[in-house]
Amino acid sequence: MVDISSDVSSRVIEPQTAVARRPMLAMDEVSKRFGSLEVLRNISLSVSAGEVVVVIGPSGSGKTTLLRCINMLEDYEKGIVVIDGEPIGYRPGATPDQRQRMSEREIAAAREHIGMVFQSYNLFPHMTVLHNVTAAPIRVKGVPRARAEERARELLAMVGLSDKMAEYPARLSGGQQQRVAIARALAMDPKIMLFDEVTSALDPELVGEVLAAMQELARAGMTMVVVTHEMSFARDIADRIVFMDGGVIVEQGKPDQLLFSPTTERVRAFLRRYNDRYRI
Amino acid sequence: MKEFAPLLHGYWYLLRGAGMTVLMAAGSIVPATVCGVLLALAQVFGNQAVRSIVVAYLFLIRGIPLLVLLTFTYYLLPLTGIDLPPFWGVVMVFAFYYAAFMSEVFRAGILSLPRAQWDAARSLGMTQRLMLQIVIFPQALRLASPPFVSLCANLVKATSLVSIVGLWELTMASREIVERTLAPFQIFLGAAVVYFCICYTLALYGRYLERRVLQGH
Ligand SMILES: Nc1ncnc2c1ncn2[C@@H]1O[C@H](COP(=O)(O)OP(=O)(O)OP(=O)(O)O)[C@@H](O)[C@H]1O
Ligand SMILES: [Mg+2]
Repeated sequence: MVDISSDVSSRVIEPQTAVARRPMLAMDEVSKRFGSLEVLRNISLSVSAGEVVVVIGPSGSGKTTLLRCINMLEDYEKGIVVIDGEPIGYRPGATPDQRQRMSEREIAAAREHIGMVFQSYNLFPHMTVLHNVTAAPIRVKGVPRARAEERARELLAMVGLSDKMAEYPARLSGGQQQRVAIARALAMDPKIMLFDEVTSALDPELVGEVLAAMQELARAGMTMVVVTHEMSFARDIADRIVFMDGGVIVEQGKPDQLLFSPTTERVRAFLRRYNDRYRI
Repeated sequence: MKEFAPLLHGYWYLLRGAGMTVLMAAGSIVPATVCGVLLALAQVFGNQAVRSIVVAYLFLIRGIPLLVLLTFTYYLLPLTGIDLPPFWGVVMVFAFYYAAFMSEVFRAGILSLPRAQWDAARSLGMTQRLMLQIVIFPQALRLASPPFVSLCANLVKATSLVSIVGLWELTMASREIVERTLAPFQIFLGAAVVYFCICYTLALYGRYLERRVLQGH
């Protein structure tokens, strides 16, 4: 049908690098606790348009919570998150503790601009692949069905799933489901994409196809925040790597700098453990 | 074969009774389902006050035998000055009674969906209402459909109680025939078969719905 070339992807995803250095995501002093456990402590993170930021860190360091706070799937006690100039969740007040919670409807509207891909795919099992991808554009944004389907076809072609459009998710492999999930998020034309360990539930031989789709997306200029344990992938795709531990950003920097000459002992220890585990 | 002659004479009367049973059951299942869904929604999404009221209602209903509730309403209604034909009075009792059990079935369906489905829907910018409509309900209904169908069958069988408040249906019809023919075994066997057929049809229809509403799982 449609041939999958990088040509398609650059048409499918609007390149955003043109307006370089515009902050697409600005997290300002976000703190989050679960009961007595402080999971995020005063996190500030800024991601510019077209930038790919990879977040790494030990289990339980708060990476998933960080992503979930960005699109307000998780409420937080303190701080502000702004996407491309528009607050999501809380509007800033005169002082930090005067922030104002937005209404559920406003929050839902703000979420349209943030695509999220989950570790466990989370496709809607009662909808076909095509329907999974078109449901939100049609029902949330009011895109006419014909146009939504045309766009879904482009996106599914981009992730190499043109022949699976009529299938139900249960009949797809994990890697295929995850690529549908990526297409589903992209169909909303998000300004930024969040990926939470999207390959860690996959069989090793299926990891490559999902990472390839993400690579292509990054090349096309999408702004991305990626949580992953795949270090070589992180090195390839990242403009910047952020290392989290205990709910704080311990160190961040260019991939080669952070991975090969980290300045903090905690990062060095983490990478040592990682290398021991994956050495053959 | 001769032993079943009374049944042959009475079959038309029995079937008319069965018709009344079906009418009564269908008339109750529809409002019971609607109320059940509303109660389930109130319990899952309502604020604390609404939730407590619903819980109290469910608790109350679960603790009262249907027969007692039917008789009670039968004597109470005239006193309140509400002039309801007995058929509708009975339908009302059934609707309120079964709504409580249906709400449990629907609530379990809604709550047994993985949290991740809600997250995925919300991350796509869906409002609560849209998410319920296109993501949660279609899946919850499917999960709820086997217990829902068995509740409906239960309701069909429970209509046999209404003869106590003087309403005529299959069981009452059977008793009348027995009085005339003095053949209780044959007649009630016939009635049992009819009840079974109604419930079995219901089960088949439920399975058909389940398959049609959601392939792909
Ligand atoms: N819903 C919750 N309720 C209570 N505690 C939670 C909840 N979600 C996460 N936590 C706790 O918050 C901490 C951070 O969790 P989080 O999932 O953000 O870590 P993570 O960095 O994503 O870890 P992993 O690499 O294992 O995915 C953990 O200690 C976790 O147990
Ligand atoms: Mg995580």
